[in-house]
Amino acid sequence: MRKTKFQKIDGTEEIKLPQMLDFYPLEDEENTRISLFFKNLGEGRLTTTRCKSCERLLWPPRIICPECLSDELDWVDLGSEGELYAFTEMRLGAPLGFVEDVPFCIGMVKIGGLLISARIDDAKYEDLNIGDKVRLKIVELKDGRVFYRFAPSE
Amino acid sequence: MRKVAIVAGGATRCGKREASWRELVQEAGKNLFESVDNISPKDIEALLVGAAQPERFTFQVHVAPMAAEYLGITPTKVLATTELMCASGQAAIRYAWACVASGMADMAVAFGVEKMFMKDMAEAQTNMTCVLDREWDGINGLSAPPFFAMTAQRHMLEYGTTKEQMALVSVKNHHYSTMNPIAQFQKEVAVEKVLSSPMVAPPLNLFDCSGITDGAAGVILVPAEEAKKYTDTPLYLLGSGQASIGNVVNNLASITEWVPLRLAVEETLRTAKITIDDIDIAELHDCFTISEIMEYEAFGWCAKGKGGAFIEEGESHIGGRVAVNPRGGLLGCGHPLGATAVLQAIDVMQQFRGEVPKGRLVKDADIAVTQNLSGAANVHSIIAYSRNPT
Repeated sequence: MRKTKFQKIDGTEEIKLPQMLDFYPLEDEENTRISLFFKNLGEGRLTTTRCKSCERLLWPPRIICPECLSDELDWVDLGSEGELYAFTEMRLGAPLGFVEDVPFCIGMVKIGGLLISARIDDAKYEDLNIGDKVRLKIVELKDGRVFYRFAPSE
Repeated sequence: MRKVAIVAGGATRCGKREASWRELVQEAGKNLFESVDNISPKDIEALLVGAAQPERFTFQVHVAPMAAEYLGITPTKVLATTELMCASGQAAIRYAWACVASGMADMAVAFGVEKMFMKDMAEAQTNMTCVLDREWDGINGLSAPPFFAMTAQRHMLEYGTTKEQMALVSVKNHHYSTMNPIAQFQKEVAVEKVLSSPMVAPPLNLFDCSGITDGAAGVILVPAEEAKKYTDTPLYLLGSGQASIGNVVNNLASITEWVPLRLAVEETLRTAKITIDDIDIAELHDCFTISEIMEYEAFGWCAKGKGGAFIEEGESHIGGRVAVNPRGGLLGCGHPLGATAVLQAIDVMQQFRGEVPKGRLVKDADIAVTQNLSGAANVHSIIAYSRNPT
């Protein structure tokens, strides 16, 4: 009887964080029709779309107004100072890509008529209070992509 | 439309299981079909598989035919996976119900399964962070614990709810789960233990949060008029409600008041033709302690903002105004996403049959509801069940 053959093979190579585990969106014109949002962010401006037809302020930025189906949208500035509506701190259970940042603060920020979630940088949980003023901060990834966060106002 | 009843149920033990997704399916399937004498897998015409994230947790898509194969079912009428995150199992029951009610199938299985323990738990957490809109909320680290932490923070600020009141929910549900042999957690916890457990996301400690859990469960649905052929004590589907408002934080109706839950409650009461006072058992979605407190309020068993006092006064214990989570809840039993609603249904059936241990038996219960929230509590799903045909 022939002996069963055993052979070592190369399995998966060391895996880099694949695109589908990357939390940050693809921001350029090739990949999204709201690339202007990210271009504005790169210039220090937090913006979103407002429907020209029904005037509704839309968040996240859209290409079509879900209320009236108009595709005529304006970009509007939301300002750079917000108010902390709620906050917490990630201490256990962070996802890949954020594990090294633990602990980090997360908040809900009232800004420009919206209530948005965001990382709250440069602060410990104990330093924060509901109602605190927070300032827009832009972070830039190594590959040039940008995203918004907030930090306590001076 | 035909009336529909559940005639059998079977489940796995829940927890950190030394078993794969495929094996959880087989275990639950064996328990399901062995619990009823005259139904075999080959009798099943429709199979709905509640599975929240098999593609993330076990790197497998197209799981409905795979589950069917392992269960020995060859569906001839309807087959699909239902995904609604934490309410995926309830979606399976609702669709299986619709299939039987409409006549599309005469016998359906609603199944639920989740394998959540992975080698690298940071990857499991990654999966849980794409539940909210990943590019606008998840990206900020907004998985369930931080979201519900901020919900709790606002509820404490606006209504004076305390950490101790929240801890009492955990104490109650862990107490009941000590009497549930398939529960993930079978030890009592005291208020001090909840408050001194590791902080996950303040103000939520570890014992304010339901666990990461492996588990599976299934139920068989048939037309109500056929139900007595298979069991003396069917579980009759009475009514249901479901509502969803918004998805990202900005577009939620409110952080501290779950408007879609109120709407789902109204629809459930209307379709089941009951009032909240008719409900003897409520299996509510206590993914976090604050959730159960807000659910008392949305159902209307207490005034808005008084959910903390409601648990403090023992009103949600067996013998109180309504028995909430006598199964042990998600806090005590664990939360295998796709399986949870199916596990709730099975426990209600066992309550009505008097098959649960005395210490958590709700005597003379006739009507029960099971409720699941999903996402940022923007979606709420409820089913009302009855011991008696209607």
